Amino acid sequence: MSTSLEMKNIQKFYGPLHVVKDFDLHIQPGEFVTFLGPSGSGKTTALKMIAGFETPTSGDIFLGSRSIVDLPAYDRGIGMVFQNYALFPHMTVSENVAFPLTVRKAARKDAEDKVAKALSLVKMEQYKGRYPNQLSGGQQQRVALARAIVFNPSILLMDEPLGALDRNLREHMKVEIMRIQKDLNMTVVFVTHDQDEALTMSDRIAVINEGSLVQVDDSKSLYNRPRSRFVASFLGESNMIPCRVDEAQNGSAKVTLAGAASGAAQLSGQINGDQGWLFVRPERVEINLSSEPAAVTNSLDGVVESALFLGEMTRYLIRCGNETITVKRQNRGQLHFAGGTPVKVSWKAEDCVVLQ
Amino acid sequence: MDVANVNLAGLAPNKPAERQKTMKRSARKVTLSSVIAAAPLLILLIGFLAVPLSYIVWGSFEGTKLNFSHYARVFASATNLNILLHTLRVGLIVTVVSIILGYPVAYLLTKVRSLPLSVLSIFILIPLFTAFLIRTYAWMIILGREGIINNALIWLGVITAPLQLLNTTFAVVVGMTHVFVPMAIFTMYSAMAQIDHAYAHAAQILGAKPVQAFLRVYLPMTLPGVFSAGILIFISAIGFYITPALLGGPSDTMISQMIVDQMTTLLNFELGYASSIVLLLVIIAILFVASLFIPLEMIWSSASSSSDQEPRAAARLLKRAKRALGPAVSAIEGVAHAATGQLLTKNAGWLWAYTVAILIFLTAPLIVVVILSFSSSPFVVFPPPGLSLQWWRKLANATDWHQSFLFSIQLGIAAAFIATIIGTMGAFWLVRTKFMFKKALFLFSLSPLMVPVVIIATSLYVFEARIKMLGTFSGLVIGHVLLSVPYVIVVMSAALRNFDTSLEPAAAVHGARPLQVLRLVTLPILKPTLLTAGLLAFLTSFDELLVGIFLLGRQTPTLPIKFWADIKYQIDPLLSAASTLIVVLVTASIITVQLIRMRHEKRTTAGTAD
Repeated sequence: MSTSLEMKNIQKFYGPLHVVKDFDLHIQPGEFVTFLGPSGSGKTTALKMIAGFETPTSGDIFLGSRSIVDLPAYDRGIGMVFQNYALFPHMTVSENVAFPLTVRKAARKDAEDKVAKALSLVKMEQYKGRYPNQLSGGQQQRVALARAIVFNPSILLMDEPLGALDRNLREHMKVEIMRIQKDLNMTVVFVTHDQDEALTMSDRIAVINEGSLVQVDDSKSLYNRPRSRFVASFLGESNMIPCRVDEAQNGSAKVTLAGAASGAAQLSGQINGDQGWLFVRPERVEINLSSEPAAVTNSLDGVVESALFLGEMTRYLIRCGNETITVKRQNRGQLHFAGGTPVKVSWKAEDCVVLQ
Repeated sequence: MDVANVNLAGLAPNKPAERQKTMKRSARKVTLSSVIAAAPLLILLIGFLAVPLSYIVWGSFEGTKLNFSHYARVFASATNLNILLHTLRVGLIVTVVSIILGYPVAYLLTKVRSLPLSVLSIFILIPLFTAFLIRTYAWMIILGREGIINNALIWLGVITAPLQLLNTTFAVVVGMTHVFVPMAIFTMYSAMAQIDHAYAHAAQILGAKPVQAFLRVYLPMTLPGVFSAGILIFISAIGFYITPALLGGPSDTMISQMIVDQMTTLLNFELGYASSIVLLLVIIAILFVASLFIPLEMIWSSASSSSDQEPRAAARLLKRAKRALGPAVSAIEGVAHAATGQLLTKNAGWLWAYTVAILIFLTAPLIVVVILSFSSSPFVVFPPPGLSLQWWRKLANATDWHQSFLFSIQLGIAAAFIATIIGTMGAFWLVRTKFMFKKALFLFSLSPLMVPVVIIATSLYVFEARIKMLGTFSGLVIGHVLLSVPYVIVVMSAALRNFDTSLEPAAAVHGARPLQVLRLVTLPILKPTLLTAGLLAFLTSFDELLVGIFLLGRQTPTLPIKFWADIKYQIDPLLSAASTLIVVLVTASIITVQLIRMRHEKRTTAGTAD
């Protein structure tokens, strides 16, 4: 039962505080969209407005073709997994899962079937007689998920559901949630501040900062083609080098790097003479000994400041004048550069973008 | 991708207007439900506390005559002034003694594991919930001319003739201390339990001697709890009636007795009113001074205190004084360390020994009462010369006792039922809705605990006589509801503050309507707390004497009134049998509720199995 969700020009004020600004978002049926942002960015408020715990100051929210802003939470037909699971402590697992059906006065037999099906989907059938406090965190999480999907909600909301789990369990639950979402073809809105969760699970990620949607894109575009410095630095590691656009041409340009070296980069709407920041991911940067000639357009001379061995890769910090460039290299038996070695760092024009 | 980026200009102007309408509607709904929740509590407190009190105030200067001579009489007559001063002195002694006796026990309770904790707390809870009358009766047996102490001393040859122990200030202090030590322990414990012992450990690893760690780190952190226990005990103690009346001599009259005498035997109402107002003003003054040091609501519910508050002005002043005394404090610490170095290290054996001694002090009187109920003697002598069931047989045939017992049960159930409903609604209102002066209103709702019972009793007496309610069952129930509602509020609001705030939204988003949320989620989770609150309310009513005396009229005497009348008439072991029965019933009900709670909590407490 997947349904589309549309947020139209949503604004939310708490007194003078503008916590959600100009939210415009259309989520397709069956799509997995993540609200990603630092804490206090307004992502939870946005989710609460969808759930019906908060009323937008203005704007409209459509579930399918129906406006839901004036509906109370209990009439919206939405499933939700809470951050601390919010399982009812006085009910058994199966009573918890049956809850959405009980309050809708579903027929007993029908309800039992649906509960059994939901529990088997999350692989918790054998725990149905237990109380929540007799379950581990991961098991509680599964029950909360079963409760949220048992009544075929039009859309499933998840508010930082993996935050309380330890690392291994979190990896496992990510895969489980994705499997269940695919199985049921559910529309999911997932809120997190964890970029790994967002990148792995989402069809699209809505990056939120200070109440505004900064960029809405799929994982790959967001990672490789961020449209702002915020997105570039919030998602993954990045190098930002001050630069000036010299000769713009068809969305790319010759640029001056860090006030001296010349190079070339993609543009994001700048024109000649604009100052900006050249963005390049650490894993896209090559390191060579200074003596070797540069093979690509962008290169800076520097000295290895530190080399951190991280197992599968080594993380170098290279000092180039006033800039420090981070470089990540897979450890595949290449040359290792010790601290103090004079080196040349370089990257391709298509791997870097000028951001405002 | 953002399909919704279409221009909504056409829709924009009227949409927000519509939204405002809905928001207004839901806002009205919220106000309506909070009015419904608040109304019974406010009607009770204003109609049956504030208004009757205003009658007393009005009457104390004879209304429009503005005759203040009655106040002058309170202070001018040496007798009256002495009674006032004596009351304050006894209150202070009892407070200090109870706190000092209770502190080490409360400290031990914070250190023990859960099993010894529950055993210890049962030994403290049972005396705590045993009626004042029964405990006072026990002390009459122990301290009497042929009581245990005199008999033991004579047997040992220390004295030849019995000492006058009963009807002395000493007896009053002992009896009242016995009443207040359990209260001191629990009030201080609930504040101390929130203090991590790691602080003291940290102080020691940083070089503080055990005495220093205790005096400079732990003790200062417990002071707010100690202080609030002290205030609680003091304001209850100066309003005390039963113990001084039964254990004290003529010169031990306390102000409550004086008020009762003025109102019932001397029929000097105005002087009674004026004395009541003086007592009330003393309590208000104490609470005002206390509020300079601690948030007042902490006195009745330590859970609501927040430690991250700015220290109050008076507390800061105290700090400065302490700094000035620094060198002296260090010297004392040095001496104390030399003296107690052995005691404070590792094994708290002496603490256990002390605690056991206190527990014996608390429970021994009850055991004496139980043993006496099997006495073969027609008189109150201890130890009894032989064992028999004669008093139990007598109790089984005493229809007047049976009637009183049944009437008290009826009254208790009615009062507990109403108080639980009103108090729970009030607690929902106080915790869940946002409004100004919330703290002040919370304190107002606890005001029946601050006003001495004697004043509540006399003011209700005057008021109910005026509205022709005096001597009716409902008049009596209202009196008891008024006294027990604050306990319900304290218990329920603590539970509501700890209520997991995501459970109700979780129920709502999965389709439960507001009433379904209440019925299926909120109330079932609060069930054990409701039970506790109801039990507290029942016990409050079941033990209550003064309000009963004033409001009873021609109805069957309640159990405490029956007890009171008999105790004043003659004390015989029949009272022991009745007391034993009551103690057993009260204990059984406490344990039952405790077991239900434990079973419920075992299932429902947060925390995971992994």
